[in-house]
Amino acid sequence: MTISGKQLVAIFVDRVSQQWVVRDPEGNFWTVPSLENPWDHRQPLEWRDEMELEAVPGHYKDILGVPF
Amino acid sequence: MSAEYDRLEETRERSVPWKKWGPYLSERQWGTVREDYSEGGDAWNYFTHDQARSRAYRWGEDGLAGISDDKQRLCFALALWNGKDPILKERLFGLTNSESNHGEDVKEYYFYLDSTPTHSYMKYLYKYPQSAFPYANLVETSRRRSRQEFEYELLDTGAFDNDRYFDVFVEYAKSSPEDVLVRITVHNRGPEAAELHVLPTLWFRNEWSWHATGDRPALKLVSAGQPVNVVRASDPVLGERYLYCDGDATLLFTENETNTLRIFGVANRSPYVKDSINDHVVNGREGVVNPEKKGTKAAAHYRVTVKPGESQIIRLRFTDAAPVSFAKANGEPAGPFGLRFDEIVRSRREDADAFYASITPPSLSADAANVLRQALAGMLWSKQFYHYDVDKWLEERGSDPFKLARKASPRNDRWHHMYNGDVVSMPDKWEYPWYAAWDLAFHVLALTLVDPDFGKQQLKLMLRERYMHPNGQIPAYEWNFGDVNPPVHAWATIFTYRLEKAQNGEGDREWLKSCFQKLLMNFTWWVNRKDRSGRNVFEGGFLGLDNIGVFDRSAPLPTGGYLEQADGTAWMALFCQNMLEIAAELAMTDPDYADMALKFCEHFLWIAAAIGNVGGDTGMWDEEDGFYYDVLRLPDGRSQRLKVRSMVGLLPLCATTVFEGGVIAKYPEIGQRFQWFLQARPELRAAIHDPAKTNWAGRRLASILDETKLRRVLAKMLDENEFLSNYGIRSLSRFHADHPFVMHVGSQEYRVAYLPAESDTGMFGGNSNWRGPIWMPVNGLIIRALLQYHTYYGDDFKVECPTGSGRQMNLFQVAEEIARRLSNIFLRDKNGRRPVYGGSEKFQQDPNWRDCLLFYEYFHGDNGAGLGASHQTGWTGIVARLLHLFATLKSEDLCAGKIAYFEKQARATGVAAPTGG
Repeated sequence: MTISGKQLVAIFVDRVSQQWVVRDPEGNFWTVPSLENPWDHRQPLEWRDEMELEAVPGHYKDILGVPF
Repeated sequence: MSAEYDRLEETRERSVPWKKWGPYLSERQWGTVREDYSEGGDAWNYFTHDQARSRAYRWGEDGLAGISDDKQRLCFALALWNGKDPILKERLFGLTNSESNHGEDVKEYYFYLDSTPTHSYMKYLYKYPQSAFPYANLVETSRRRSRQEFEYELLDTGAFDNDRYFDVFVEYAKSSPEDVLVRITVHNRGPEAAELHVLPTLWFRNEWSWHATGDRPALKLVSAGQPVNVVRASDPVLGERYLYCDGDATLLFTENETNTLRIFGVANRSPYVKDSINDHVVNGREGVVNPEKKGTKAAAHYRVTVKPGESQIIRLRFTDAAPVSFAKANGEPAGPFGLRFDEIVRSRREDADAFYASITPPSLSADAANVLRQALAGMLWSKQFYHYDVDKWLEERGSDPFKLARKASPRNDRWHHMYNGDVVSMPDKWEYPWYAAWDLAFHVLALTLVDPDFGKQQLKLMLRERYMHPNGQIPAYEWNFGDVNPPVHAWATIFTYRLEKAQNGEGDREWLKSCFQKLLMNFTWWVNRKDRSGRNVFEGGFLGLDNIGVFDRSAPLPTGGYLEQADGTAWMALFCQNMLEIAAELAMTDPDYADMALKFCEHFLWIAAAIGNVGGDTGMWDEEDGFYYDVLRLPDGRSQRLKVRSMVGLLPLCATTVFEGGVIAKYPEIGQRFQWFLQARPELRAAIHDPAKTNWAGRRLASILDETKLRRVLAKMLDENEFLSNYGIRSLSRFHADHPFVMHVGSQEYRVAYLPAESDTGMFGGNSNWRGPIWMPVNGLIIRALLQYHTYYGDDFKVECPTGSGRQMNLFQVAEEIARRLSNIFLRDKNGRRPVYGGSEKFQQDPNWRDCLLFYEYFHGDNGAGLGASHQTGWTGIVARLLHLFATLKSEDLCAGKIAYFEKQARATGVAAPTGG
C-alpha cells in the first residue's frame, strides 16, 4: 500500500500475527521480524482482514533499526 | 556548626558535586503524561502499574526509596518480596484517577524520615505487609464506593492486622560525593518469624534503545561470593561505579528492556528483559536471568528470616572506588564494610542532627522539632529528575508542530520549545510526579530554610528558555503546560533574595536582575492575554483553585459571557507589588530600575483601583456583605456577583506590601512623578488604601483594601462560623453549609455548598477540593499579608479574634494564631493525638506509626484530618517555615521594618546576619 506524499514514519504491532509493522515515509507498510538487524529482514506487509494495527510509540523505531 | 554547612559551601563555591547523587528517582513514572503515547491522551490507562515492571520507560525511572545521579543515568532502589505477592514490590502501588472514588491515590505507607540538603544522610521507611498485598481488593472496593464515601485505605483491608508487617528502613550516608553507603534495616513487627526477600537493585535508565547510539552502558559482576559481591557499572558519561553487596546474596542480571511479548505480543529478541528478575524470583522461571552475570539491570537477592520483634541489617556501598583501592588504600580489614562503614553512617546521622539542631529554634518542643525536620526531609526527598523533551515526544507521537496537516496531539503541542532534563522539586512524587510552577514557588519558601542555593536554582530554572514559553508564559504542569496558575514566582523571588541578603550581607543582584527580566516577560504575557477588556481586570480560569467556583472557571460558561475574577485581579495586584519590590531593590544601585519601580507602582494602582471601581454597582466588592466576589458578565450586558464566600474573596486581602520609601528617598524625581500621578488621578486613591499615607515610620502600604474594608473582610475571615477553623483558614465559608449558593441556568442547577472533606464531583479529576478544606499555601499568603499590615498599622490596630470572642489582637497576633492552628494539624494535642491522622487508630496509637508524619495536600475544614495526596510535603512543607517564623520573630521586631524578619531568620538558621544590610 502506498500513500502519496511524504509521511512521518509510524510503527504498529499486529497482535494477530505477532509482528511489528512499519510505515515508511513513502507510505509503504512492512512487517519487521524480531531478529538482530530487524529492518534488514523486513518484508512487504500482506494485508489480511483480521489484522488490527495498534500504534506503537515512535521511539521504538531505533529498536527495529528503522533508518528514517 | 554542622559539617553539612561545609558541604553546602563546597557545592556552591567549588562545585564539589555533593548533590550529584540524591533521591531523584520518581515514585511513579507510569501513568504520566510524558510516558503517554495514546491517541486520546489517556495517560492513566495507557501505561499502567501492571505494565511498569515489564515496559522500559522513555523519560525517567521510578522505584522504592531510590536514588540516582542528577541526570538519572544510573539508578538504585529497593525491591522486596514477602513470598506471597504475585509480583515483586519494586514500586509503589496506587489507584488511577478512574479507579478510586476520589481520584488517584497511592495505597502504601512510606515515610521520608530524614534528609540533609546535600543528601549526605537520608532515611526512608517503607511498611510492607507480610500477607499478600491486596491489589485487587483495593481496586474493586474503591470502584464500588461513591464520591460521598471515604476512600478505602490500605489499613482498612486488614493488611496490617496483628502487626504482621515489616518495617524496612533505608539509610544513605555519603562518605564522599561519589561514595554512598547504604544500610537497610528490616524489622519484623509481627508475632512470628517471617522471611523477606530483599533485592537492592541497580539499573541504567534506558536511553540506548531510543537513540540508536553505540554507547550502551553495562553492569557486570566482577567479584563474586562471600563476604562481598561486587558489580561494576560502566557508563560512557559517568565512568565506572561499583556496587559492593555485603553478605550472602545471589546476584541476578537482566536488561532494562521492554518485555515485548508481554506488552505488545511480539517475541523478545533476548530472554533478558525488564521483568526477568521478577519472574525468576517470584515465579521461579529459569533462563530469564543472564548466567554471564551482565546486563543493564542487576539485583542482589538477599533472603532474611527475621524473628518477631527483631531486626536484620543489610549493607551495601555504591562508590567510584574500585576494589583494589579498598584493598590497599584504607588498611581496613574487611574492605568496603570494615569498621569504618558503621562509623561513617553514624557520623552522617550526627551531622544531620547537628544541622537540624542549628536551624531548629530552641523554643520549639521536641514534637514540633520533629514536625519541622520531617517536613523539610519530605521536601528534600521530593526532588526528582524530570525529563521531557516535548518536541521529541510530539515527533514520536507522529505529530509535527510545523505541519498544518499534522496529527493532533491531545496536549502540549504549542510547547514544543520545551526541553526539561533537570532535578526539580515535585509536589508529590507519587500523586503529582511532575512540577507545578505555582507549587514550586511555595516549595521554595520552605526549602530556603535548609538550602537557599537550591531555592534560587529552582526559581531560575522555570524562567529559562527551555521552560518558559517564548511568549512569556511560565509552564503550568505537564497535563497542560498552557494552563494558567497564579503568578507567585516574583513573590518567591524577592523573598529568596532578601533571605540570602540577610544571611550573606549582600544579595545576589545578578540573579535578581536576570529573574526580573524574565518575570517582566511573564508580567507582560498576563497583561496582554488575561485582561480581556484592557481595564486592568483579570481572568485566568481556575487559577489553581480547582472546584472553588460555581462553574468550572476554565471552561466556557454555561451562561455565556465571562467572569471577572477577584482572585485573578488580586494575584496581578500582588505580582505588581512584587515586581515593584524587585525594581526598588535593584534601583538602589542601578538607576535604570527606578523608572521600572514607578511603572509597577502606577500599574498596581490601576489594578487595585479597577477592583474597587470597575463595574459600577456590580463591582467585585459587595458593600452589603463586606466581601469580594467574582462578577459574571452576561452577553446581554447584565452583570451579577457570584456570592460564594470563598478564598477567591480573601485573595484581595493578600495583595498588600509595605514599602520603606527607599527609592523615593534616593530618587527625588521619581517621588515627584509619583506625587504628580497621585494628584492627577484622585479617583484611583479613593477606592483603595491611600498610598500617599505614610505611617509613623514613614512607611507606605500598597493595599487594595482600605482600613474599613480590611476590618470587614477580617471579621468574616476570623469568624469560626465562616472561615476560621481550629486548623487554619478554610477555603470556603462554613456559612454555605446551611446556605448553599445555588444558581439555575436553564433547567440545570449549579450549587456550591460547604464540603469540609473530599469533593463530591468529578470537576478537575475529583481528587482535590477547594470547597471547605484548609490549604497550606493560601494560608501562608494570608499570614504574609497580616504581617505586612501589621508592619504598617502597628500594635494599635486590633481586631476581634475569633470574631465574637471579645479577644482583641493586633495583626501579628492574628497571624501567629492562624499559624498556631495550622501547626496543630500535625502536633500532638493534649490527648496525644495528631489531628492530621483523624480517626486512624494505628497512626494515633501505635508507637511504630504515630511519630511518622505525612504532609497531606489539604486538610479537613473542621477536624484537620489529612486529605488528598498523602506526600505533598511540597507546599504543605510551608508549615516548617511557619513553625520557624513564629518561634524566632516577635511583634516588636517588625517595628524595625520587614527586613528585620529576614535578619532574624538569618540569625536563627545559624548563619551570621549582615552588619550593613
